[in-house]
Amino acid sequence: MIDRGNSCLRYPDRSARLAVVALLGCCVLPLQAQQDPWSSPGVQVIDSSGGSGAGNSGAGESKREQVDRIEARYREILSAWVAGEVDRAPDDLIELEKSVVADGDPKSRKRLRDSEQAVIHELGATSLEVLVPIAMLHHETYSRHLARGIRQAPLAVTHARQMARDLAILYNQQSGSEGSAVVASRVLTSLGGMMMESAQQIPAAELFYQALELDGRNLAARLALATIYEKSAQPESAIKGLREVLKLDPDHAEARFRLAMNQKRMGDEAEAKKILNEMAAATDTGWVAPLVYQELARLYGGSGDWASAEKVLRTGLGRYPDHVRLHIELALVLDHRGSFGEAKTLLQKVLAMPPGSGGLSADNERLLYNSVRPETFSEARSILEDNSRSRLSVLAQALGTPTSGGEGGR
Amino acid sequence: MKRTPALFLLLIAGLAGAAHAAVAPRIQSPTADQPIFGEVEVVVGVSADEPVSRVEIFVNGVRRAVLTKPPFQTRIDVGDDNSSREFKVVAYGAAGGVGTHTVATDAIRIDEQMEVRLQQLFVTVTRGATSDSRRVLDLEQEDFRILDNGKPQEIITFGKGEVPLTAVLLLDTSESMQGERLEAARRGASVFLGGMRPDDEASLLMFSDRLLRATPFTQDRGELEQVLAETEAVGGTSVNDFLYMALKLLDSRIGRRAVILLSDGFDVHSVLPIDEVLWKARTSQSLIYWIQLDEEQKEKSFNSAWRDHKGNDHEYQTLKKTVEESGGRILNIQRIGELEHAFASILKELREQYVIGYYQTDFKKDGRWHKINVDVKRSGVKVRVREGYVDY
Repeated sequence: MIDRGNSCLRYPDRSARLAVVALLGCCVLPLQAQQDPWSSPGVQVIDSSGGSGAGNSGAGESKREQVDRIEARYREILSAWVAGEVDRAPDDLIELEKSVVADGDPKSRKRLRDSEQAVIHELGATSLEVLVPIAMLHHETYSRHLARGIRQAPLAVTHARQMARDLAILYNQQSGSEGSAVVASRVLTSLGGMMMESAQQIPAAELFYQALELDGRNLAARLALATIYEKSAQPESAIKGLREVLKLDPDHAEARFRLAMNQKRMGDEAEAKKILNEMAAATDTGWVAPLVYQELARLYGGSGDWASAEKVLRTGLGRYPDHVRLHIELALVLDHRGSFGEAKTLLQKVLAMPPGSGGLSADNERLLYNSVRPETFSEARSILEDNSRSRLSVLAQALGTPTSGGEGGR
Repeated sequence: MKRTPALFLLLIAGLAGAAHAAVAPRIQSPTADQPIFGEVEVVVGVSADEPVSRVEIFVNGVRRAVLTKPPFQTRIDVGDDNSSREFKVVAYGAAGGVGTHTVATDAIRIDEQMEVRLQQLFVTVTRGATSDSRRVLDLEQEDFRILDNGKPQEIITFGKGEVPLTAVLLLDTSESMQGERLEAARRGASVFLGGMRPDDEASLLMFSDRLLRATPFTQDRGELEQVLAETEAVGGTSVNDFLYMALKLLDSRIGRRAVILLSDGFDVHSVLPIDEVLWKARTSQSLIYWIQLDEEQKEKSFNSAWRDHKGNDHEYQTLKKTVEESGGRILNIQRIGELEHAFASILKELREQYVIGYYQTDFKKDGRWHKINVDVKRSGVKVRVREGYVDY
């Protein structure tokens, strides 16, 4: 089973978003804190007097010594990152952060955050561009945390995500350029995508909002946000978002299909049929094409027009002759039309398909459609990786270490 | 039953330019998939670019006729047993060319030939109200009274555990079944297969959001066990699509039919809505047993791309209704260690059912619902049977 969860989202105008986020109230941080993570160019220096000891500190280690140790280790990890140790650096950062927050004390997490900020503040004094590869490191760290399982170190996971997010926002705030907005928007989009994959729809939605405020042409964020509305039973908001996607890319097959499905949910079956018929007539509708035939046939069947349903499904099977689900749906339609024998023959044909054939294993578009497709966010990640790579030399210079010559920092 | 119609067509048309077969016979009658028994007209057409000297006709590997001149047709008695047969002809040319052609005929599917108004009921009788209560096994035909839409029906057939069983084991092997759950499901299914009798048949459908592995109906336990062992748990869940498929595949089977569904029941990816499955179940005579994992999940609600909370809840409740209406039942499993027992108890229950057949008296094919009631002349017993059917 997948895709549990619920929400109380609405699709607001930008001006109303603050209020909506407040209404959401479920699990997101106050918006202002998210928009303005390290509010001035001068990052707050650590509070050396506060808090209890961090986890894994040596016996008798003072707080100052612990902070020094974290900072030194963080620098080493950043150096490894720019040196191209793309596996070791995130893993080492995970271990460092887990060890510091292991005691579960919020003060330990604050100490970790302050220590890392202190290093970033110092490095950022040479060039703001260092923030991008550092954000990428924390982004990668978050990704690995999720792959290992959030429950292993929930505080460290949250820390990793917030570091990546805050660095992106800080970079944009300090730089103010259009390019920085694009990069920051992609960081947030990619983080949001990972949160969606972890079924954290509401905080993901908040990241997508922020991403769109930075770059309104961020198609992945728009589509993802619409998808969250769709899965939150808010088809009106989903439709609005999907229309925005289609303004940016009128040929976006997934957006068109989702639009049709949400129109159907809204009771506008005529519009849904119109969109799906247009898609069925086209030849380049990509991976959603089999879904178009399935849902169009359902619409016809739902209104008792089994003849049209049969026609649609036969057209679909002409295009995808080994598609199991199209066989099953056509069998049902034939049952309704009284062609019991042909219906049975169709299903026996499915049984005779060899394991691993296109028929038995490949027709999982419905899973893809109902889940988060990593491809949706690949462009965001690609932009992020390119921008991180191109700035590694700047970070290396700030750290006083050599780079790997291009591959480091993802 | 109809005899094969005699055909008197003969084609001896030379195929100019036939590059690979100088002699090409073709069995024109009987045709493939045609049920055959008794005396059968066999008609062979031969295309040849040389004179045809001889045509031999084999039935199930035994030479039954030799024809030396056209028309190449004869009558052969193939016996009265209802089984599939292989017809093979070998044609010899005078210049040495040889050609063959084979046709396989089908056995008659009894259910297809019978009018659908014969209703079969699989009746479980227990002493006590729960499904685990002791079953009552000593009832006879005269102890039962069947009411179809309130009208008493004459019982035409009556049987007990000796009626062969045809089952579809419909196992949810979605991602949530990974690990110990899948192993337990395998063990449970294996227990079921191990309890089957020689004349029972089963088909295994292992599904997630797609059909992962499937077998045709077979008595070969080894084949079923192999598929069971090889399948891995991946993907989402499409209960509706594959429950419909299972019911449909059982349509043409003979005797006692059941779908054993193992799933948590939360359908996310089916294209068919559960209402269509309910419709199918109402036109079917198959029992549905649902071994439901994690009973506590039923209170959880969720969204999918296809349905909202309300829609998904409707799907869940209607699946329950579909199972109960069919005369099967839901077995809620809290611990995976209970799975083997669940499968075994279903098989035992199926063995201990009464199989009662009657002809409905107001057969109209009008798509209307017929309510079934079964009364038993025994006090203190509980009767479970499908609640009715659609006259279709």
